[in-house]
Amino acid sequence: MRLLQAEALKVRTAPRTLLGLVLALMALDVLGSGSTASGGGPDFVPNADEIVTFDVLTVATTGVIFALILGILIVTWEYRHGTITQTFLATPQRERVMAAKYAVSFGTGAILTALSVVVVLVTALFWISPVLHRDQWELIGRLVVASALWGILGAGLGALIQSQVGAIIAAFVWFLVVEPLIGVRFEHFADYLPGAVIDRLTGHEVSAEHTQEATQYSFGLWTAGLLAAVYALGAAVLGAASAAWRDIS
Amino acid sequence: MIEVERLTKRYGKTVAVDDLTFRVESGRITGFLGPNGAGKTTTLKAVLALIRPTSGETKVLGRHYRDLDDPVRKVGAVLETSRYHPGRSGRNHLRVVAAQAGIARQRVEEVLELVALKDAARRRVGGYSLGMRQRLGLATALLGDPEVLILDEPANGLDPAGIRWLRDLLRQLAARGHTILISSHVLAEVEQIVDEVVIIHRGRFVTQSSTAALAAQVSAGVRVRSPEAERLRAALAAEGMTVAALDDGVLGVSEGTAERVGELAAANGIVLHELTPQKATLEEAFLELTGGETTT
Repeated sequence: MRLLQAEALKVRTAPRTLLGLVLALMALDVLGSGSTASGGGPDFVPNADEIVTFDVLTVATTGVIFALILGILIVTWEYRHGTITQTFLATPQRERVMAAKYAVSFGTGAILTALSVVVVLVTALFWISPVLHRDQWELIGRLVVASALWGILGAGLGALIQSQVGAIIAAFVWFLVVEPLIGVRFEHFADYLPGAVIDRLTGHEVSAEHTQEATQYSFGLWTAGLLAAVYALGAAVLGAASAAWRDIS
Repeated sequence: MIEVERLTKRYGKTVAVDDLTFRVESGRITGFLGPNGAGKTTTLKAVLALIRPTSGETKVLGRHYRDLDDPVRKVGAVLETSRYHPGRSGRNHLRVVAAQAGIARQRVEEVLELVALKDAARRRVGGYSLGMRQRLGLATALLGDPEVLILDEPANGLDPAGIRWLRDLLRQLAARGHTILISSHVLAEVEQIVDEVVIIHRGRFVTQSSTAALAAQVSAGVRVRSPEAERLRAALAAEGMTVAALDDGVLGVSEGTAERVGELAAANGIVLHELTPQKATLEEAFLELTGGETTT
């Protein structure tokens, strides 16, 4: 409990980093949500309001990326600024420290995306219905769960790589370069990779009546959630083992 | 008490610490000396479980650091590499450590007072001077009022007034029974603070003794003044002593004792105006024991 308090306090008392991250996320949310306004207008199709609401919520998936980055930061800023020495002096059982960091990354990930959802919905209130139906609430739930899990994935990756810039670049290279390349060569297998899994978990299947772009997925939402959890926990275990084993230089 | 038992740490082919054994007794201030690269910081990090020894073991208060319950309340450490999040205030840095160790917030204010950082406590650490960072490091180490203090180069960055403040603080702590291990290359400083020294060189143990015994181990020769300096010089040289003319009528005699110089002067009927055994400073002793390598 002490460790959790200390880790949460670390996040709260690094205001510039956190503030910068939250402001950047909100700016992207407002811009992204604003861009869905063109979904209305004279050619508005029946039920389009519902589709636009889904589109608005999709903008909030940016929160998942920010949750990943914040997870990376929660671990790597300790290595970057050398405070990891004091942290491990106060709690030499490093795996306990990492567990607390994962828990805080889980929480901050969920909060970031919850915030993101609020911002995109409030921004879009002028052109969407303020009443959400069940599927939309479910999508919000999936977004929050995905963010929380990707917070852990980020923290695990941070512990594994330790370099702040290195971990962020590694994450982006993986999701933007490596996964798409694997997808070109092994299409079916690529569906099970982390980026595709999180896309599945945060995507929405709007019925074909509403749009022609309904995506065909290889597996269901529960499987996607389970796979995302496996990836997050895998990164967490590897990260904790790395943090526990390596010398503090 | 701190025990280092046959500690070896290798980084690839480089041996940072080589089969090092020593013991620091409770309630004393021990200086941990060695030239740069001697392995001091590596040793301290091994004691604090920050690095994994290649072989051997270290203990603090009879246990491995990792097995200590509530280490912040048992051992306080300031490492050369102690660093801070620049965006966090001094007070918040201490609050984080206090939260982690379950220490009341009131204690944060006490240690800020103790290290004279109260006025700067709300400022971001990024704007602190090196001296202020050292004070914050000491405040962190003292947060749990620990029995053992391990300080790596704590005088670095302190101005003369700060060094004096540090010396007084460490003396107060030692008087209250704290065990203090302090590594430093500011040998003159250590000499005034410590009860004993452990000297290492190239990762190996050189010696451990009280400062007085260490200085006595190293002969610094005899200073002798005579109106017949030239005759005296010839007489001493004839006995195989190395004699250097230091000043008008003053000779510096190495490899000789005051007793022997006096006897020779008397035997030759030479008048002496001064005969002073020279005490080696800790610095000289240190340089002699480590083969004359400088420590900075």
